[in-house]
Amino acid sequence: MSTNIHHKIESPKDRQNRHKAMEAIKLINTIKEDFKFPIKSMEYFYDLFERVYCKNEPLHGDKVKVGTMCIQIPSEIIYALDGVPIRLCNGFYTDDEIGSDLLPQKACPLVKATVGHFASGNFSDKPDIVFSPTTCDQKTKAGAIIEKFGHEVIDVDFPRTKESEASREFFRKSIREFTSKLSKFQGKKLSRKNLKDSISKIGYAQSLYHKLTTYRQSDIVPILGIDVFLITNAFFFDKIDNWIDAMEALLEELEVRSKEKIHVAGKISPRIVYTGSPPIFPNYKIPQIIEQSDAIIVADETCSSNRMFNDMVAVDEWLVNDMLDSISDKYLKACTCPIFTKNDDRIRRIIHLAKQYKADGVIYQAFAGCTVYEMEQRSVLEAMEKAGIPILYIESDYSPSQHGQLSTRVEAFIESLKTRRRNKK
Amino acid sequence: MKYFAGIDIGSTSIKITLADEAKNIIGFKTSASGSMFYKYAQETLDTLLGELNLDKKDLAYIVATGYGRKLYKEADENISEITANAIGAIAAAKEYGEIKTIINIGGQDSKAISLDNEGNVVNFAMNDRCAAGTGKFLDVVALKLEIGVDELGTRHFQATGTPLSVSSTCAVFAESEIIGLLGNNHSVEDIVCGVHYSIAKRIVKLVKRVGVKEGIYFDGGPAMNEGLVNAIENELGCKIFIPKHPQITTSYGAAIMGVDSYKYEQNQ
Ligand code: SF4
Ligand code: SF4
Repeated sequence: MSTNIHHKIESPKDRQNRHKAMEAIKLINTIKEDFKFPIKSMEYFYDLFERVYCKNEPLHGDKVKVGTMCIQIPSEIIYALDGVPIRLCNGFYTDDEIGSDLLPQKACPLVKATVGHFASGNFSDKPDIVFSPTTCDQKTKAGAIIEKFGHEVIDVDFPRTKESEASREFFRKSIREFTSKLSKFQGKKLSRKNLKDSISKIGYAQSLYHKLTTYRQSDIVPILGIDVFLITNAFFFDKIDNWIDAMEALLEELEVRSKEKIHVAGKISPRIVYTGSPPIFPNYKIPQIIEQSDAIIVADETCSSNRMFNDMVAVDEWLVNDMLDSISDKYLKACTCPIFTKNDDRIRRIIHLAKQYKADGVIYQAFAGCTVYEMEQRSVLEAMEKAGIPILYIESDYSPSQHGQLSTRVEAFIESLKTRRRNKK
Repeated sequence: MKYFAGIDIGSTSIKITLADEAKNIIGFKTSASGSMFYKYAQETLDTLLGELNLDKKDLAYIVATGYGRKLYKEADENISEITANAIGAIAAAKEYGEIKTIINIGGQDSKAISLDNEGNVVNFAMNDRCAAGTGKFLDVVALKLEIGVDELGTRHFQATGTPLSVSSTCAVFAESEIIGLLGNNHSVEDIVCGVHYSIAKRIVKLVKRVGVKEGIYFDGGPAMNEGLVNAIENELGCKIFIPKHPQITTSYGAAIMGVDSYKYEQNQ
């Protein structure tokens, strides 16, 4: 059919990139513009996300990009073998929509978005190999689907319980196998030196994050929770040295801000601990609603942020095998993902965080379709009730149009927290 | 010579098209529907007839369509805008090729219609959420940006950054989103472009409900907005066809229906 107006039409790839850029810039702009007292050194992170997601800038050149389907794949080992870890959990609605054509309607949006991303094959830093831990069922099955798009996907066996000695042994073995597969792929061997170096480097990065959390424990909180999500999400794919530099600059600025008593929230803004399905850039829907409703997220228990940074690798013997065992212990024992049964650790941690960070309440998000988080909701709610910590449970997905109804619920919860506070005084 | 009038009474405007027995367009006129549909429709028809040097008596058959159609008592026949739109589109696109899908954006709703090989309506979908992706929505946007609706098209192509999407489907919420963007010093062009893409995405979703088949025709007043056309083409990934007078397709279809009905009656 001929037409009377002549425009050039975008290629499907350009279209997808534009959609993603529109999603990304929207979030970045809101963070920059909707909140008071912006932090100067956060510019690095805003800019990073804009470069990668709006301008499709590759960061790692010829380096081997090792894709990981979840946090349970140790970055320490990837760095030691000269690769760059790229976490593939995806937060784009654009990709979720592509994935929806390939997966059941009821699948979790994170998995749909991850599969959708692979279906489109549109990466700024394309993974050369993918490791997929057999954590939740949907992730596990997604690995097999992704393989069909021409990627080498290697499963890493992951236990579903973590209390027993057997599961510990099982995972240690699994990590050794992962190491030898990656080592073969890279044509490089683990040595005491390279493994120790990478453990120390990540340990140092974590120590910076720990410092950051101390500011969030104080009465005057100098940084928004949504900024912290950006920082931790950047760790998924940024050059680690750049990330470290940016963190050092940020901490300096926070030091000044906390001396000047700059509080990013209001005087009686409730302090929130956030938990549930992970907020992955740019799906910060719930954190954004929370902080726009005059509350502040002071801590979180999610795999896209705090859960990942909390515990460090504890080595007692710097021999390769000992280090490997310590690494696998960290990734197993410290993990509070609800794929585990039993998972009392998660409840313990949420309560602990609420106390440590003087939180007024907990907000729990589950992605519609994520069975494990949906199922664990009950026990967490009961435990919080027992502990006297108010909690709000929300189910959400990646679609942008839900905003109105969700914010009404969140606002009501936050207002109830404020009333509680006032009544206490 | 006999003439046939198609009167399309929409939520925001009245469109009248006159056709001759051979279904050629003789003339057309549009006006705002305002609060008194019937009166305005009458006046518009009178002006049009006057301009063409015709008289009411020259009208052999009048077909009314559009959501205010039942209020136009003088019509010989009433047909739904879906049917009228399909008939008008097929006739208007004759010189360009076959149409399989129609996108129509009206003042307060938008629809996607899919046709079979004979031009029969096989499926159609309408936006189910208020003013999202309609002409009204564009009016609200232009008003807030303090530019004319007819300027939206050119501004679209002047955007330089990433288009700034407006995700609220509700015109009221969208308004406050736009105020926010303006308050933060974003350029009018980037906002306009983003709004077009936001509408286009919704429209394409609608089209997907009836199935995307190439041979896409876009009409309704907003089809005169080249920026929006560009956005829809990019979202669909293919060219779409815009008739010369996109706002009158439905009334033209009604007039054509009038010709057929009249002939049918004569043969009885
Ligand atoms: S929720 Fe659990 S399985 Fe899913 S990515 Fe996070 S840690 Fe991995
Ligand atoms: S959010 Fe739930 S379903 Fe989705 S990947 Fe994580 S654990 Fe699996």
